[in-house]
Amino acid sequence: MTALVIFLILSVLLITGMPVSIALGLTVFTFLFGFTTIPMDSIALKLFTGIEKFEIMAIPFFILAGNFLTHGGVARRMIRFATSMVGHWYGGMGLAAVLACAMFAAISGSSPATVMAVGSIMIPAMVRMGYPAQFGVATVATAGGLGILIPPSIVMVMYSVATSGMTVTGPDGEMVMAPSIGEMFIAGVVPGLMLAIMFGVTTVWRAWRNDYPRMQRAGWRERWVAFRKSVWGLMLIVIIMGGIYGGIFTPTEAAAVSAVYACFIAVFVYKDIRLRDVPKVLLSSAAMSAMLLYIITNAVMFAFILTSEQIPQALSAWIADLGLGKIGFLLVVNVMLLVIGMVMEPSAIVLIMAPILFPVAMLLGIDPVHFGIMMIVNMEIGLCTPPVGLNLYVGSAISRLGLTQVSVAVVPWLLTALLFLMLITYVPAITLFLPNLLGF
Amino acid sequence: MMMRILDRFEEILISVLMALAVALIFVAVVHRFSLGFAVDVVKWARVHDMPALQAAARSTFAWINSFKLTWAQEACIYLFVWMAKFGAAYGVRIGIHVGVDLLVERLTGTAKKAMTIIAISGGILFTGIVAWIGAEFVHHTWKGGQISADLEIKMWIVYLAVPAGSALMCFRFVQALWLYLRTGEIVQHDIGAVEGIEDDIGDFPLGGQR
Amino acid sequence: QDPIVIKFSHVVAPDTPKGKGAERFKQLAEDYTDGAVKVEIYPNSQLYKDKEELEALQMGAVQMLAPSLAKFGPLGVPGFELFDLPMLFKDRDDLVRLTQGEVGQDLMAQLEDKGIIGLAYWDNGFKIMTANSPVISPDDFLGLKMRIQSSKVLEAQFQALGAVPQVMAFSEVYQALQTGVVDGTENTPSNTYTQRVNEVQKHATVSNHGYLGYAVIVHKGFWDGLPEDVRANLEKAMAEASDYANDIAQDENDAAMQAMRDAGTTEFHDMTEDERAEWFAALRPVHEQMAGRIGADLIQRAYAALGIE
Ligand code: NA
Ligand code: NA
Repeated sequence: MTALVIFLILSVLLITGMPVSIALGLTVFTFLFGFTTIPMDSIALKLFTGIEKFEIMAIPFFILAGNFLTHGGVARRMIRFATSMVGHWYGGMGLAAVLACAMFAAISGSSPATVMAVGSIMIPAMVRMGYPAQFGVATVATAGGLGILIPPSIVMVMYSVATSGMTVTGPDGEMVMAPSIGEMFIAGVVPGLMLAIMFGVTTVWRAWRNDYPRMQRAGWRERWVAFRKSVWGLMLIVIIMGGIYGGIFTPTEAAAVSAVYACFIAVFVYKDIRLRDVPKVLLSSAAMSAMLLYIITNAVMFAFILTSEQIPQALSAWIADLGLGKIGFLLVVNVMLLVIGMVMEPSAIVLIMAPILFPVAMLLGIDPVHFGIMMIVNMEIGLCTPPVGLNLYVGSAISRLGLTQVSVAVVPWLLTALLFLMLITYVPAITLFLPNLLGF
Repeated sequence: MMMRILDRFEEILISVLMALAVALIFVAVVHRFSLGFAVDVVKWARVHDMPALQAAARSTFAWINSFKLTWAQEACIYLFVWMAKFGAAYGVRIGIHVGVDLLVERLTGTAKKAMTIIAISGGILFTGIVAWIGAEFVHHTWKGGQISADLEIKMWIVYLAVPAGSALMCFRFVQALWLYLRTGEIVQHDIGAVEGIEDDIGDFPLGGQR
Repeated sequence: QDPIVIKFSHVVAPDTPKGKGAERFKQLAEDYTDGAVKVEIYPNSQLYKDKEELEALQMGAVQMLAPSLAKFGPLGVPGFELFDLPMLFKDRDDLVRLTQGEVGQDLMAQLEDKGIIGLAYWDNGFKIMTANSPVISPDDFLGLKMRIQSSKVLEAQFQALGAVPQVMAFSEVYQALQTGVVDGTENTPSNTYTQRVNEVQKHATVSNHGYLGYAVIVHKGFWDGLPEDVRANLEKAMAEASDYANDIAQDENDAAMQAMRDAGTTEFHDMTEDERAEWFAALRPVHEQMAGRIGADLIQRAYAALGIE
């Protein structure tokens, strides 16, 4: 009942077209004034602390780096290289975008940051090369979701943290240990690559069906020149990858370093941005970051209301009562996560729902790592479903398309992801193959 | 005139906060990397029996380590929180906040106008309430006297970002409503572009389409 | 008549010692007051996170918390940083001498100015040192990057060892230890084990060099407003719940130590008396350094209670 009231208020506010962040916030206030006894002051606290996490700061850093790469001539040279390699395929630029997202996902733990870093380069370039903006934004917004599936992944860390320390029993009454972060990361590799390939296939298929522009095949000499010119930008991948896995810095720090590096090559190497233009890039990055952080703040506040009204808890009690088998339970969990994923931010969902669903799943004999990866894939889809989908917002912001247009554009890729979700849900071997091989 | 000053202040503030945060984390990384390097030199010199080098590297290490940067993460978070709150206000001015536009886009005439006015008024209402409860919260924190863990600055100063930023944001929504009522215009911003920078796309596409 | 509701929020899982202690308190409190009091427990930071909960309590949004003692310094009671001082306690008896003695009760009393009543001290345990290289003598720490939680005392502790203290977000720690962004950290055995730090640390020294603990606190206005008899019953429930929580904290740490030794991913070194003396000599200056913050007088009183010097 309470849940119904909350979602009704939210829906009514959303259809007026007001910013989603404002609609979320007003829903919380309407509910607070009308239906509950939670003190107002505790909401003020959430307004401040919603984004008070160092990991979240990777978002502004990657936005800044992305802006320098986009406007500093790096993107131009990189895209040239990518195009020279696969541009002659159907939807070659889209394919390059999917690949770039997969690569970037291997260095970033966040999906919206991946969409931002790759999209701010790729989407404008694709539009200029004659692709419809919808196609460009759809490939990047969905493939950007790989950011939380391919390790490292902040959401995986959150799953591991949320379930760790729980003493949970399996179907035979034996103790089940929550998965370590390392296990989760390893388990994300194969599903991540698999989904990247599936997105690539969808991209090529859409491009072939719609007969999107193809480029002329480039010669090897041309490719080499393109590579040499873009090598300063490509170095960034080495710096981030090497930096994180070589133990020089954390992912958030890597984001800051990449921003500094991107600024350096844009201003001093490629000289596409003049020093006196740097403040303009800072300003535009700050505005974009602020918009995203504002949504996160209000989403956290919204999640707080749901939690304090015990809505997630009531849901899980209801599921347990249904007495579903393993297959039915997984299906219900998927549907539920997809629905919640429409209106909530992944880290909030995982932090709230994982501890609730985990014991039920373990009791049914589901592998803890498998269950985690399944949740992550759900979160990934949730990032691309309206009304609350950070990937869509980022994509919409970059492409200058409305949220509706972007939401419609991603449908073929979302269906691909749903198909993939079914595979992941009912074929645990995809997830568990690599961890088992490596002896986890 | 006053408005021009306010606009410029807003822009300079968020740009500077962004720059400071990046610079700070970059310096912290370099700081830690240099320490690691100095220690490696000490160890190398120890193995290769070079006491002079070892001593020099040791004192370099001690000197670098005397700069304490454990507060960098906390400072970065607070810089970004301030940037986020004031940047959100700037975002209203340039029309950066995204909404679900599927119904409004299909409406025309009075219905569309009413809907838009409701939407903007929602912004005014929300940010106004936040400014108000945020101010009470800051007052509360001020009385409590808490300080932050690393920087040890007064928390009420940190929290001031919430009411101050929200009040400014509220003002920006009022401005937007005024503009809409007068001219029927809604500011929409091109986020992909950076104002004042023309992208040189050069000789794209490669060799032309086929 | 509606029961009096106590919202008890904490940031760890329900089946940790703190979580179980909270459950026991709920049970006892509801029993002793014959249902006049209802305790609602919100584990796992469900309502408020680590950084938020104290403010939430002060505003009356929750009535009861069990934050770690390190949280009270920034709140304006720096005396609590005493518990962070390295090599202050030899064993649990020392700790009890302090918490149950005058010093511990005085510190709790200082919370009243902040609108808080301190009810009990709950243990997490004594810390072990972990790293990817052996950390047996103080000299082994030269240049090691050690992850700490925000604390000026812990910062000074690692500076004194010649290490580089690094404040790092909790969710980044595992990967940072794995890749070598930081070389080591310190924590209680149960935390080290449940956070799986032992998986990514080759060496550990069972140093018991520092202490980690909690205080169970209530909102002062709420507490003072309770009927006399209810308060007495709640105090009784809290005393019993505290004994229970501290006992299982000890068990939990022992079990975690055993499990980590069995796992074999980490080489454990048990500190000898000589090594302890060495660490003591290296870390003692931290006490003087921090006297300005914590209060030289308070430290002297602690020394007197513990028989140091
Ligand atoms: Na990733
Ligand atoms: Na969504």
